[in-house]
Order: sequence, then structure tokens, then C-alpha cells
Amino acid sequence: MNKIKIGIPKALLFYHYGDLWTHFFEELGCDIIISPNTNQEILDYGNKFSVDEACLAMKIYMGHIHYLLDKCDYILVPRIICLKKNEKLCTNFSALYDLVRNTFQKRIIHYNIDVGKKEDEAYAFTTMGLELGFSYRKIIKAYKIAKEKEKIMFERRLSRQKAMIANSKGLKILIASHPYNLYDDFIGKPIIRLLEENHAQIIYSDLYDEKYLEQDVSEISKRNYWTYNKKIMASIHHYQDNVDGIILITAFPCGPDSLSNEMILRKVKIPIINIVVDDSKAEAGLITRIESFIDILEERKGKHYEQENH
Amino acid sequence: MKGYMGIDIGSISTKGVIIDSSNQIIAKEYIWTKGNPIEAVKELLKKLKTQVQDQDIEIVGIGTTGSARKLIGAMLNASVIKNEITAHAIGTLSLHPDVRTIFEIGGQDSKIILIEDGIVVDYAMNTLCAAGTGAFLSSQAERLGVSVYDFGNIALTSKNPAKIAARCTVFAESDLVHKLQIGYRKEDIIAGLCKSVVSNYLNNVGKGKKIREPIIFQGGVSKNIGVQKAFEEEAGTSVMVDENGHLMGALGVAVLSKKKPITKQFHFSITDDHFETKGIECHKCPNHCEIICVRKNNQLIDFWGNRCSNGSLSK
Repeated sequence: MNKIKIGIPKALLFYHYGDLWTHFFEELGCDIIISPNTNQEILDYGNKFSVDEACLAMKIYMGHIHYLLDKCDYILVPRIICLKKNEKLCTNFSALYDLVRNTFQKRIIHYNIDVGKKEDEAYAFTTMGLELGFSYRKIIKAYKIAKEKEKIMFERRLSRQKAMIANSKGLKILIASHPYNLYDDFIGKPIIRLLEENHAQIIYSDLYDEKYLEQDVSEISKRNYWTYNKKIMASIHHYQDNVDGIILITAFPCGPDSLSNEMILRKVKIPIINIVVDDSKAEAGLITRIESFIDILEERKGKHYEQENH
Repeated sequence: MKGYMGIDIGSISTKGVIIDSSNQIIAKEYIWTKGNPIEAVKELLKKLKTQVQDQDIEIVGIGTTGSARKLIGAMLNASVIKNEITAHAIGTLSLHPDVRTIFEIGGQDSKIILIEDGIVVDYAMNTLCAAGTGAFLSSQAERLGVSVYDFGNIALTSKNPAKIAARCTVFAESDLVHKLQIGYRKEDIIAGLCKSVVSNYLNNVGKGKKIREPIIFQGGVSKNIGVQKAFEEEAGTSVMVDENGHLMGALGVAVLSKKKPITKQFHFSITDDHFETKGIECHKCPNHCEIICVRKNNQLIDFWGNRCSNGSLSK
């Protein structure tokens, strides 16, 4: 029997749960096809298959779906409505499944999470596995192993970042955004590349231990109910004493970000800029903003250094 | 004598200065870019050269800034290529060390720079739209049949400035047409435009920033006394305009180049060389990057724009 081929778009929630998904399907013995990093062609198709009002990250997602269409049996498109009681996600994450299904005629696997209806992550994995014809026991085992592996990988990355913060003497900049912005070749990567060219050390907001999330986030806002934005806020509060500056990246026009960015910009005590990325390729403005931000940080750092040594 | 040259190539105008080692300006020039930065810089160099002809000056530092800084930096082998914000702050601080806030309105962009203890602590640039910049004022001047140079003085004669919607250039323009049709006087409309530039600037670029004195106003639009007066009314305090305000970016990179001398000797005869730029699209991967190539006398001297090493060219 041929193995089932599962396509996973390398966009949006892939950057949250990609490790978990891939390990799960590997355990079940499925073939996994992950779309490549975003490129111009993917973005162009994304624009073609999206409404104008969709955010840049959504448009990119549609491009990735298009890429996978003829390369797999199923595509994994999650529908996540609620991850935690009394909290919300951007409505795009609930709409994603129907958007994709109505735009492309392709078989999609069901992966629904709505904690409000007692449908949690384990439930989502179970329904998904049953739909593909695997036994209940096999699914639970695969899910457990995938969870375990995901945790190890995350902790490895987190401790690497912690070590970097402790040991590095150079300019440290926290780039804060949703993971799907941070790691996308057309949203966060150009900014990261510019920072690296200017020899800055980069701290990623998603590498954050959620143990103290509620406490950290309450220092910035007590009333934020966007699950993913809460994590960004908490991470900013957690790291702000250990970095020289913060770059807050937003994909145009993000609804939840527009609210929470404002709270962040008002509360943060160290230099911070908000960069809004759209699909124009004009890099001139971006370069000017990043370079002058680094100049500011370097001057501040130089000044502190002088004061300490006199 | 050693000289340091700074060039600021903007979208509309090209500015250049030569300073000595104590930051005194020995030569300065201001010309229109006319959409051709290379030719503009050649013309600028010729003019700067005539100003320093009778002095024995050796150019040992070159800095560039402005939107075409990279291109001109490659052309002149500049040792300093700096963004406009840092360049303007350094230039301004070299003349006015106590300044706290810099308002800048240029041809196509506007910015605010906040300074504390002689270092930049915050800045903002217009992000999504170019309303209220120099380009907007010149196009409106043309519509009204007035030279943009006279704009400021005409504005000052107005006793009843018209209220013009300032949020967006397109709306401002239709509002202006409307005001003309219902019979407002020209000077009232011009004064209204100056006011709208200021309120647009303060609401967009200056939004949420703590504006502290002393304030200096620069960029091409600072030559417009009407806008300066409108700023003073709005801020409730005096707003300085330096006669060399348009040169601050050039001055800033000249000052910076003192710390980083050029490695290749500079001759004004560079104006006789042939420079050419060409954008080519790379087809080696689906990204299709536009790579900018700069050639000097048909030899490739620099290129940029490739996202990956596939697009790198051999010099």
C-alpha cells in the first residue's frame, strides 16, 4: 500500500506547531511534504487567491496551499477557535479551513481545536488520526511521542538563546512578533538579515518559557484576551531588561496586533520600534529605519559604557 | 589643508558640503536631482570644485546619505554611507549642540528626531503616506499658479486662513479645489495649506512624541516661512530654522567621515568618468530579485539587491 502523503504549508501555524505535526505524522508512518520557504512565486499566487483585505501572512499561506495542491493527498489546515478559556484567537484562524476549502478543491484533514467546547489538542489529533484510518492506540502513542520530541526541541532552542544572552557582549535586539512573521522569508527574514549585517545579536520572542506568562503579561496589560498576543507581550516584558532594544514586527493589516502593539509601545521602557511589513518590495525605508535604530542603540550603549568607566 | 566632503542625495535635491577639520563649511552647494542622481552629483562636484579652486584642499573623507546614498557611495568610494536620520542628527548637533527636537520635512518624506544629552533617543518617519511633504506643496503651488519659493511670504499675508483637510494628500487636494470654487482668496488657501502640512505632520509623524525645546526645523520645506510660522503657532514656542538647515544631512556625513578616512585617493576629475546603473532581474530562483549594478567606464564596481548568493555577480 502506498503511504499517505500529507502536505503541510510552511506558513502561519506551522511556525507554532510544525514540529509537533511532523513528528506525529512520522510516527504514524505518513509521508510529509512541507512547502518551501516563501518565495516570490508563492507570494504572487497567495495574492491571486486572497481577498485584498487579508493580512500579508494569510496571503502567503494561500500561496503555500497552492504550491502543495498537486503534490499530496491531504493538506493539513487547522481550524483553531479557542485555546484557553476566555481567550480568543484572530478570527482568521477559525476561518482558515473554510477559506481554503472554498478556494481550492482539495481534501483537507480535520484538525479542530475549541477548548470552549471541550475539544482540545489531544482531541484534534485523535480525530485527525481516525480520519486517516489509524487505530486509536497508535494515534495516542504517536501524539505522546510527538509531544515529547517537540518539548525537547523547544527546550534546546530556548537554552541556546539563554546562553547567548548570558555570554554575548554585542548589541542584543529582541524581535517580537508572531512566529509566522518572525521566520517567514518575506516578513521577518529581511529584517533579521539587516540586523545580522549590522552585527546585532537576535533574541526571538517565541523562545519564551510560558511558566510565568500570566504574571509577565499583567505587567503590560491585564485585559488582553488574544492568546498569541499575550505570549508576545509576556515575552517582551520578560526580556526587556536583558536586551538593548526591541523591534516589533507586524504584518499589514493585523487586527489583534493593532490593539496590543499600542499597549506594548506605551509600557516598554527601552527603545522600541514597530515595523509594519506589507508585500511591497521597497526596502529603502526599511533599511533606513533599521540602521538608524541600531545607531541609536549603539550610541546609548557607548554612553553607558563611558559612564561606567569614569 | 584637509577637507571632508558630505553629499546628501535626496529624491528632489542634492546637497553637498566640504568642511575643514574644525567642522567649518568651506564649500556648499544645493541643486535639483532631476531624477538622475549620478548626473546631479557630477554637477555638484563641479560646483564644489570651483568654490575650493584657489585653496589647496585634499579630500580625505567622503560620506553619503539620502535615498541614493548607496549608489553615490559606490560611485565616489565613500568611507561613510549613513542613513538620513543619523546624518541629520549629527549634522545638526555639530552646529546646535543643545537642540532637543528636530522637525524635518523633505521632498518625499518627513521625520522627527528626539535628542537627549546629545544623542538620538527616538525618531519617527512618515510611514504609509507622503501627505504634507515638499512634493505635495510643489504640486499644489503649480495648481495655484504660484512659485513654490513665494509660498511662504504669500501665506504670511493671509488674515483668514482656509481650513483644509490634512489627513490625506488626495483629500487635501479635492478640499483645496472646493475652497477655490467657493471663492477663497489665494493667500488664504496657501496659508491653509501651510497649516495643514503642520497639523498633518504633528498628527502623523509626531504622534505620541514628547516635543521638547529647543526645536529646529529643517529639510527643504523649512525654507517656507509660512510653514515655520504655523509650526510656532501650533507648538506655542519658537521654532528655529538654520540658514544651512537643508545641508544638515550632508554636514553630518562629512563630520562622520573625519573618523573614517577614505582608502582610495579622490580627484574631482571623477566627473569625466562614465557611470551607469542598471537593474537586472535574476532568474536563478523563484524570488526574481532586482539586482542593481553600478558600472564605471563599463566596469562593474558594485551591485546589490540579491536576496541570496545565487544572485551575486563577479566584479
